[in-house]
Parts: sequence; C-alpha cells; structure tokens
Amino acid sequence: MRSLLPAVAEQLFRDIQKAYQETSQIPDDLLIALKFVFGPCALQALNLVDQHSVTCLSSSSGRKAFQVIGGSGRLYTCFVSCHYCPCPAFAYTVLRRNEGPLCKHILAVYLCQAMAVTQEESVSDQQMSAVLSGTALP
Amino acid sequence: MSSGKRKRHYKDIKCVFFPDDAENGLQKVGKEPRPHSSASSAKSWEKCGDSFQDSPVMKNLKPSGRKLSDMRKMAQSSVQTRADPCNEDPVHIAWSSSDGEQSDDEAQDQQQQRPQRPARHTAPVQSYTRALRMLSTDKDDLPIIDTDSDLEESEEDVEKDSGQQISDCDSEKFEEKPEDLPLTPSNTAELEISGYVSDGEHIDAMVTKSRPDSPLQSGEGGRKSIRDWVRSAQAMLQTPQKLPSNMQSKTPEDSAKKKRKFKSGGLAERLNRLQCRQRSAVSFWRHQSISEATATVDRPGVLVLEVLEVHEECSMQLVHCEHQQPPGEGHQQRDAPPEDRACLLVLFNRDTAAQLILVPRDIVHIYPPWQSLSIEGSSCDIILNTHFSQKVSAATKPANMSLPQGLLSAARCNPYSLCKTFGLLQECRTAEERNTKQTAASDAPYSAGGSGVLTRHRLSLLEAIEGLGQAGSMGQDVEVAVQRVYSIPVPDCSPVSILKPRLPTRSSSASPLAAESKHRLCVLVQDGYGMFSVVQLHLLPCKDDLRQYCHMWQGRTCVLRGIKVVQRVTRERSSRLFSLIDSLWPQEMPLRDHGNTLSVSSESRPAGPAPSFCYLLSGQESSVERTEEQTVSPLYLPPKKRTLRDILQSEIKTCRCSFDATVLYKRIIQSSDVGQREVWLVLTDPSVQQEQPERSCRRTVALCVSTSCALTSSVVDALNSPAACRMSFRDAIGEHGVLLCVEQSVVEICSSDPEGNTGFGSESQLLPEKKTLPKPVRLDPLSPEVIPNSLCSLSGVIVGVDENTAYSWPACNHCGSDSLEMIAEKPQNFSCVSCQSSLDKPDTRIRLEVFLSSSMSNCTLKVKLQEKTIMSILNTGALEGNEFPGYDVENVLGKEVGPLAVYVRVVTRKPALWIGLEEICL
Repeated sequence: MRSLLPAVAEQLFRDIQKAYQETSQIPDDLLIALKFVFGPCALQALNLVDQHSVTCLSSSSGRKAFQVIGGSGRLYTCFVSCHYCPCPAFAYTVLRRNEGPLCKHILAVYLCQAMAVTQEESVSDQQMSAVLSGTALP
Repeated sequence: MSSGKRKRHYKDIKCVFFPDDAENGLQKVGKEPRPHSSASSAKSWEKCGDSFQDSPVMKNLKPSGRKLSDMRKMAQSSVQTRADPCNEDPVHIAWSSSDGEQSDDEAQDQQQQRPQRPARHTAPVQSYTRALRMLSTDKDDLPIIDTDSDLEESEEDVEKDSGQQISDCDSEKFEEKPEDLPLTPSNTAELEISGYVSDGEHIDAMVTKSRPDSPLQSGEGGRKSIRDWVRSAQAMLQTPQKLPSNMQSKTPEDSAKKKRKFKSGGLAERLNRLQCRQRSAVSFWRHQSISEATATVDRPGVLVLEVLEVHEECSMQLVHCEHQQPPGEGHQQRDAPPEDRACLLVLFNRDTAAQLILVPRDIVHIYPPWQSLSIEGSSCDIILNTHFSQKVSAATKPANMSLPQGLLSAARCNPYSLCKTFGLLQECRTAEERNTKQTAASDAPYSAGGSGVLTRHRLSLLEAIEGLGQAGSMGQDVEVAVQRVYSIPVPDCSPVSILKPRLPTRSSSASPLAAESKHRLCVLVQDGYGMFSVVQLHLLPCKDDLRQYCHMWQGRTCVLRGIKVVQRVTRERSSRLFSLIDSLWPQEMPLRDHGNTLSVSSESRPAGPAPSFCYLLSGQESSVERTEEQTVSPLYLPPKKRTLRDILQSEIKTCRCSFDATVLYKRIIQSSDVGQREVWLVLTDPSVQQEQPERSCRRTVALCVSTSCALTSSVVDALNSPAACRMSFRDAIGEHGVLLCVEQSVVEICSSDPEGNTGFGSESQLLPEKKTLPKPVRLDPLSPEVIPNSLCSLSGVIVGVDENTAYSWPACNHCGSDSLEMIAEKPQNFSCVSCQSSLDKPDTRIRLEVFLSSSMSNCTLKVKLQEKTIMSILNTGALEGNEFPGYDVENVLGKEVGPLAVYVRVVTRKPALWIGLEEICL
C-alpha cells in the first residue's frame, strides 16, 4: 500500500503555514494534530522552533542547507533535498525501526519553514562545501 | 532451575509439616474463594516457625536469587512461544508469571501475565504432584507480595531479592501477624505468608489479579476437563479486550517523562499544556469507558466505523474504514447501499492501536474530539486524534482466534522514501521561487490592514497583539504614534519589575532623591484605531538620556517590532495610567474603525468613550523605530502647558496636567512604609502670585513626587540644593487641589531661557502671560482651610512654650556636629568627633516650639521656630556668657512674632483645630 503518512505530514505543514500566515499563530487543534502524527517529536521540535534553532545556510552559488542547534547545543546539518539528519534519533527511530517519519530536527526545519521563522545566513561556497561534506567545525 | 526446585522443596516441606494446609492448598486450587480462618493460619504459622528453625533445606534459598535473570530470559522466551500454553511445562508458566509481575512497566510483560492465570486453573485436574507444583509455582508470587516489607526497595530490587525474602523473614514476626490474614480470602498458603506484610494496596493487587470478570472463573467448578481449561486459557490469551485495563492507570507518555523547561509563552509550552490536558482527559475517558459496560453512541459526533483494512506505518496504524449507521438508527448497516458508506482513513497511534487491536470487520466507535484532515488531491479524509476510540464488537468469536491477530494482520507499509521531501522544502530548492512566494504570502495579511495600498506594517495594535499568539515576539510590525516617553524607576533591576509594573512603587527602597535606582524607558503609544499600549523598553544607562529619547520619539510615528505582551491592563486596575490616556482622548483626528478598514479616510467614527483597557508590552531599544516621516504624527496630542491658576480652578476633579512652576520649598517625608520616601514640593508660578481681586486661588500649591516617579539626576541635584528652582512638570495628576507626580509624570529643570520650554519634545505652548515672580513671594495667610504640606504666612503672639522640646546644645562651629568631646587638659575646650577640630568656643544651638494665638479663633497653633527668630525673642546676650542661666518662660510669653513663612506639617481638625507648623526660610 502507498505510504500515507508523508501526505498527512505535508498537509499538516501546509495548514500550519496557512494558519500562521493569516493569524501569526498555530491554532491548538493543529498543535494537537502535530503531536498526534509525530508523537513526542512534536514537542521537542516546537521547542527548537521557540529557541530559533533553525538556520538556513545559503552559499553564493545557490546551495542551501539547514543547520539545527540541538538541545545539547550540537549542530545538525539537514539537507534540503532529502530527509537526513545525523542525530541518533534519526538513525534509530527513522532508519532502523521505522517508527517515526522524521526526527525532531527535520520536523523543526519544516515548522520553521511553515512559520517563515527560519534564520537566514549566507556562507561562502567554501564554508558550504565544508558543511555539506561534514567537515565543518561545529 | 535451582530456584524452581527450591520453591518446590519449600512447598514439599510445607506439605510435610502442615498436612492440613496441604489439603487446604488443594482445595483452594479447586475452588478459589475459600475463606480461611485466622486460627488455623495462626497455627500453621507457628508450625511454620518451627520448620524454619529446623529445616536445613531452607539454606538453599540464598543462592536462588542470582539465577533469576536467567529465569526471566527463559520466561520471556517461553512467552514468546506461548501459542499453545497447555503444552508448556507449568514451571515455565509460573516463571513467566513471576516475571510478568516484576516488570510491570512494560506492556509486553503485562500481557505475559495473562498466561499464568489459566495455568493456575489447569492445576486441579492434574495429578496431585502437579497440583503441588502448581502451588509451588504460585509461590513465586509470594516474594512480590512481600515487597512492602521493605518499602524503600524499588520493585525491581525486590524482584531480584525475591529468593531471599522468605529466608530473611523473622519467624517471630510471623507469629505476631496472623490476625492480618483473613483479609485475603482467595488464596490460602501463599497469602498466609504474604499476609504478614500485605497492606490494602497489595490486597487490591491480588483482587484485581483474580478478578472475577475473567471468563475463566465463570466456568469455575473444578470438574471441567483439562481441555476445557486449556481452551478457556487460550481464550484468555487471545481476547485481550480487557487487556488495556491493566494499563489504565497509566496513560501514554506520562511515565518516564522528563521535566523540561520550555520557553515561556512558546509553542512548546503551549503544546505541553494541551498535551497534559489531553492526557488526563484520555485517562479519564478510558477509565469511564471501562466502567461503562456498554458503549453509548447517543452522543453527537461519534464516528461509527467498520474496519476494512489495517496497515501499520511508522508505529501508527492506518485503518481503512467504512462509515456505519449508529446502532440506534437500525441494524441494517450491512444492507445499506454501498454508495452510502463513506470511506474513511483513520490513524491510530501506537497506544490506541495496542488497545483496540483491530482486525477487519471490527466496529469501532471514535468519540470526539477527533480531527479530520482533508488532504489536497485526495478523496479520503483522514481522521486524526483518535484517542477516544473503543472497539464495540469484535469481528470474530474469541474462541476462534488463535492470537492477537490485529497486530499480526496489520500489513506494514514500506518506509517512505527519504528522498521525497515534503512540500515546504521543495519550495526552498529554488530560491527565486521561494522569494516570490514569501513576499506574496507576507503581503497578504497586511492588505487587510492598509487602505488599498499594500503597506509593510500593520496599523492595528490589537490585530498585532492577537497575532502574537504564544509564539513570542511579534512577527509583524505595527505603526503607532508615540504619545509619551517617560521612565519608571526599577529598584533592583530584577525581572520581576517588568512583569509586575506596579510593584516597584511599593517595594522601592531607594529614595527618589538617591541616585542609585535604575530607570526603565517606557513609551505610551497609540495606533490609528485609538488603541493605546505601554511599551516597556530597556533600562536607561544614564537617567538623563530620557530627554534624548523624548526628542527622538515623542510625537513621531514609529514602528513597533519584536514586542511581547506582558499584561492586559484595565481601567479599574490602573486608574493612573488611564488618567493619562483620558487626557489624550478624544482624538481630534478621526480614528480608523476595526470593522471598516477600507473606507478609513472618508468616514470617521464619532469619538466614543476612551478605551477601557490597554496592553502592557515589553521590548528592546530596537523595538521602537522612527519612520522616515519627519513630521509630527497627526495622532499626537502634545502636553499642553497650563498655569497653576488654571489647574487649580479646573472643574475636573482628577486630571493630568503639565505646567512650569517655581519650587519654593521641598521636604522629604518618610512615610510609614519602610523605605518609602516621598518628596513634597511647594510650587508657585506668576499666575497665582499676581494680585487676585477675588482671592479665589491659593498662592502656592503642594505637589507630591511619589516614589513611582522617576527623577533624573539633574532634578535630584536641583532638589538637593537649597536654592529655589524652576521646573517643568509633565502629566502630573491634579487631584483634590493637590498635585501628584506618578509613574507617567516627568519632571525636568526649566532651562534658563524662559522660551525654552520645549524640553519634552512638546510644541512650545506659550504661557498667556510671562511674568516673573514677585520678591519676596507672597504666601496665603494661615486659614482654617489650610491643608498639610502647604506654605502660608503667620503672625501672632506667643501664648505658650512647649518646655519638653525647648533646649539648647553646643555644636561644632565647623561642621555643625553635636558630638563633641571635652578635652581632658583644657576643660573649657572641646574637640569635634566628626571633624576632629578642637573648639575653643562651640556654637550653641537652640530649639524652641511655641504656641501662638492669631486672628484665627478656637485654634491651637504650634510653631517650631527657626534659630534667628528664637534669638530675636530671647535675650541673646545671656547666651554669650559662660554661665548659661536658662530662660524664664515669662520672658517669652506675650512677645509678638511674624509675619513668618511657615510650612504646615499637621492639621488635626478634631476635636478642635490644631495645626502643627514649622517656620521656614524662603
């Protein structure tokens, strides 16, 4: 059967984006739905959003990547073109057990995008290549 | 299996020592609820004590504990293969049971608990030795029941120690306890041992375990064949309808939940709160739905669904359902034409799914508040938030089921491709596209606020505040007119003062004349709709910076950004603030109307009543930014300078007023509240000093600077200096003939240039007549209507002397200190303690309070005189002499004094008019 959760998640993000554009807030029912679909991840991701932990790096050549400051202060680089996060929860919950569609960092990226509160930062191409190849200093 | 053996040994021993008990045990297995007399158990306990002493076998008990982990593993493995429990060795089942008891925080283990019970019931139809074994396996429950013997131990520790528990028991204790035993009617031998520690909770546990609602016990009687038992045991295993009841006490995620700190006002905090509410609602609902035997569908909004297909995806269950008619509307669901049955997709989270264990053709009731999410481009709605779900009829008969099918039959979806990102990130891939989208999106909400033209800022404070939500700082900017800029004292720079803005006025320990307290910059802003808000900004690094901010912002159109709501303030709660707002109302400029945004300029609404509430906001220095326009905002209502005469003659009882005045006299009053000091100023201006034919107005006005009014350091310096000074007061409160400077008031030194009264960025409001004060200043003669803290002139005849307060003392003529020491060598000479100078001849200070009779009759006037007046009425020559003889009261009485300038300290009108005065020097 076709996997349906991505469609649900996508629709939720669209609804959040719409609601936030119109009222500058996320209504309670969408928060509850977020929690229902993403489980405990939702709370942690919202906390990251509150902390303004998501930054979108863009290089002069047009490459983009997200950096999320985790709860411990570690930087996680998430990609624009696919779902990947170097955090242990992604490796375990998403990749190994397939128990959740996303980790909290990627969810936070989506929420920040939906709310248009992603911090923007321009980096040089050199820095970007270091970030994308994982050789950047944290 | 040494442990198992040990158990059996113990049981054997017991059987040997208490043949009657062995019989009891057997009977018990046959018929469960057999009340046991306390006498017999007491007896057995006595014997038991003997046996403990005698039996060498008991030594085997010790090492058994460490094997438990192995046992547990075995038990688990045995449970995993529990498809046919009748083939199991009973010992295995027994172990699984004890294991299940041990880790009750794992749902799996709770499920394992089930198989144990049927096993116990299979015992009576087995051979006698088997029965004994069964008893012995049941014995494994004992240590767990004993847990309360050591309350400090965690359950897990107890489990590990379970082997030792019995051996640790003191046999004397056993003999003391038998009275407790009858509490447990269902078991005999086991509970006899357990009884000595069991308290209510454990009995409860036992009772729930042997709940009579399990189908097994309904078929009680001991005559059934083993096959029947096994079958019913299987049924127990496989109809987990009641299974969730063990978990009822726990709702998802409330255990092992870390206490996290979330950002105050943030989304996470809000979700956390919602989640807690939902969690308790869910546990309450589950409790209720368990206690209610039959499901009711008469509530509106209940979804009645028939399960078609079950899929599992990311630990959730995605269930294809078909809408059913509620049972109340007839039972022809199956006959309904297929087009009437709407197809639905329902998501169940792991917990709900584990409780429902859905298989196709199950009927599920989903109670509100469920949510329906319609996905663009998909015909099926998805039902979310299905915590309140109940399976009302199982598709198949329990006996026909072989296993929890629901879990197995749910086809697992393949994980979705990680390469397929969701919509929002795809937008991000092409920067240009995203940019255009974002600008379009961000413009959309503004267009409603503007008048046809897209503006970058919102124009309504209320809309912006509503838009704030809980997310923290304001996403959109608001355009406002800055009506006033002022500062408030912050006693200790604690964040509390921001949250409770009215507190500092009371808790301030710093005197307004002391310079140590910090000041916080505040602005009173108003939007185009007439809404006011107070924005508390940063602390002023230097108090005199206020003037600079006044120049920069007051009267200008500014943009607010990055603002947070602190408080909603109502007229009732903050009358002072609203007296300022009232002074800015009604607006001369037509205001916008919230309901009528598009035709703003053409229509204006009539000036209604002033707003009854406003918002207290907080922000940073960068939160207020002047717009490009250089002109003064049309909304701005500058403070109008009035004359004191005008203010005093005003009809309005309480109003805000601004004026320039000369400070004639200042006095710091320590109020009864510790550490709270007010400054009283006596003011005058040319308008009240001029000759008034009708004498309608007082020549001086008292003004109180409360502690909540922030004074700049230049004002403090001026007030500390003895010279009279001219000051500018903005937005003071005129109330009952007294002026009051409070939070929103600003006091400034008037510049020497009489025209330069534009200190607050206000438009120069020329006084009607520019006159200088007469010299000396005229004071009102003392009258019976006099109020405290005012000045007046007084002349009269001394009619009495307060002898208690009349004295003189030597003081240092350099520093004025009265702490002098006599020098031992020269008895005539003194040395000053404070300035260390030696004095040949110290000054003599003198103090005298006299009673005067004046033109006012029936009035006691007590005046504290100044030294020069005292000198004039006393024979000063006597003071010069070396021997000071003292004065006679008679010499003073009848002397005329005055006219004196006096400060009114106290006025008591009852029982008779009594006025305490103090002569001052102007």
